[in-house]
Amino acid sequence: MKRSTLYSMLVAVVICTAPLLVAAAKVGETAPDFTATASNGKTFRLQDYRGKYVVLEWHNNGCPYVGKHYKSGNMQRLQKHWTGQSVVWFTIISSAPGKQGYVTASEENEYLTKMQATPTAALLDPVGEIGHLYDAKTSPQMVVINPQGIVIYDGAIDDKPTTDLDDISRATNYVSRALEQAMAGQQVQTRATRPYGCSVKYSDSTH
Amino acid sequence: MSGRESSRRFSAALGFLVALVMCAGGAQASGSPIPHGTLELISDNQWIAIGHPFYLGLHFQLEKGWHIYWVNPGDSGEPPRVTWQLPPGLSPGAIEWPAPRRFGTSSVVDFGYQNDVTLIVPVHAESSVAAQPLAHLGAEIKVLVCREMCIPGKTQLSLTLPIKLQPPAPDVRTRELFAAARKDLPRPAPQNWKISVDDATDSFVLAANLGAQIMQASFFPLAEAQIDNAAPQILQPHPSGFQLTLRKSDRLLKPIERLKGVLVLSGNHSYLIDMPVSKRGAQKNNSSSGIDEMQSSREGPQK
Repeated sequence: MKRSTLYSMLVAVVICTAPLLVAAAKVGETAPDFTATASNGKTFRLQDYRGKYVVLEWHNNGCPYVGKHYKSGNMQRLQKHWTGQSVVWFTIISSAPGKQGYVTASEENEYLTKMQATPTAALLDPVGEIGHLYDAKTSPQMVVINPQGIVIYDGAIDDKPTTDLDDISRATNYVSRALEQAMAGQQVQTRATRPYGCSVKYSDSTH
Repeated sequence: MSGRESSRRFSAALGFLVALVMCAGGAQASGSPIPHGTLELISDNQWIAIGHPFYLGLHFQLEKGWHIYWVNPGDSGEPPRVTWQLPPGLSPGAIEWPAPRRFGTSSVVDFGYQNDVTLIVPVHAESSVAAQPLAHLGAEIKVLVCREMCIPGKTQLSLTLPIKLQPPAPDVRTRELFAAARKDLPRPAPQNWKISVDDATDSFVLAANLGAQIMQASFFPLAEAQIDNAAPQILQPHPSGFQLTLRKSDRLLKPIERLKGVLVLSGNHSYLIDMPVSKRGAQKNNSSSGIDEMQSSREGPQK
């Protein structure tokens, strides 16, 4: 076997196993950096937003738990409110091609317009790189990062793990709570919860 | 309207009608329709015998490949939720959950049931039910049914049972379903087992001395976000038992006092485990747990 073939095989093995070797994001630790292309065609790098709070929202437009927060307008209200407070809001789509929730850039742009959703950007992550980097399990899983680049919240959007729209008004929103407490200089009380919802539809997803 | 268009409309209407009839026929077969399956409310006895407890069952039949969830659904999904509508004098207990199975991939793992499963619920019948000859039992069920995608369903179930002073008599039509459901309920761990759970920084180590070698064991945690559901559970058999290493969840930020869950050994024998977590050393099995604690971990928010 040629040396170059052997070398390229080795590189392939390293690339394949790389996502498993990188430690996933953890509350209290530095948020892993990533670069991604948004549905608007622009490139965003997390590192560039040091000094600002950043919210990551895992999204899948076919998931009934996501539907609960978009049909009710809850997610759009949160996006509008917090981006209005200089928070950077990234909606992240980690569905693999052919899986539920996968969208092209133009499909996502149409969706954002139709739903009147105004995140800072909708990041397309069809290979699941950012998803695995943050060990995202569900949509809508939510992560909050502080201006120092530390993960201060990771988990569910709120404390009502259901698909019922009626539950939103009764729920405690963990994302808003974390941002309010952190901005007031307080300790974030609830820093990690089970992120409820649909499983993120990575390429190997079967359930 | 052109003739061609009207005939197209007619055939569309016909198709709709045929589909409707087929749909109604399918639903009639057993129970009420839920997404990709049916659900039926059943009783283990032919009538309600005053003063005698009995069991109701939620019998799910799911299409191939679709599943519902355990009391702890794992990384995604949610368990079925019941709102009972029972006459005064009848009080339902909590669902007795059979041991679940794993569904998942390398990164996201859920716990639940597929094909055919019956969730059983004990019901206490007080003497005050005697006021009526018939009891109309109702239950509103919210259930999430998933395969590659998830579909929430909601259905209203009903069952009418006579009320009698006579002692209860089992209903032969449901006997097998209740027998199957009871067979799959986890049992309390035997008294002679020695089980300990150690906190080992990144993992919990469940060590069990059962007096026999065990080649297959998996643990299903009752509480969410304690162990990493997707991480492989590392089994080390030894002549009189085994050791099972369970990776902690990254979302577990505080030490836990007890580890509760269901241990499934080869042959689908399942046991309730409820052990204090120690920093070091073995402890004797004082698993008193019982099913009550298992249920109380979730019943509250379900109401």
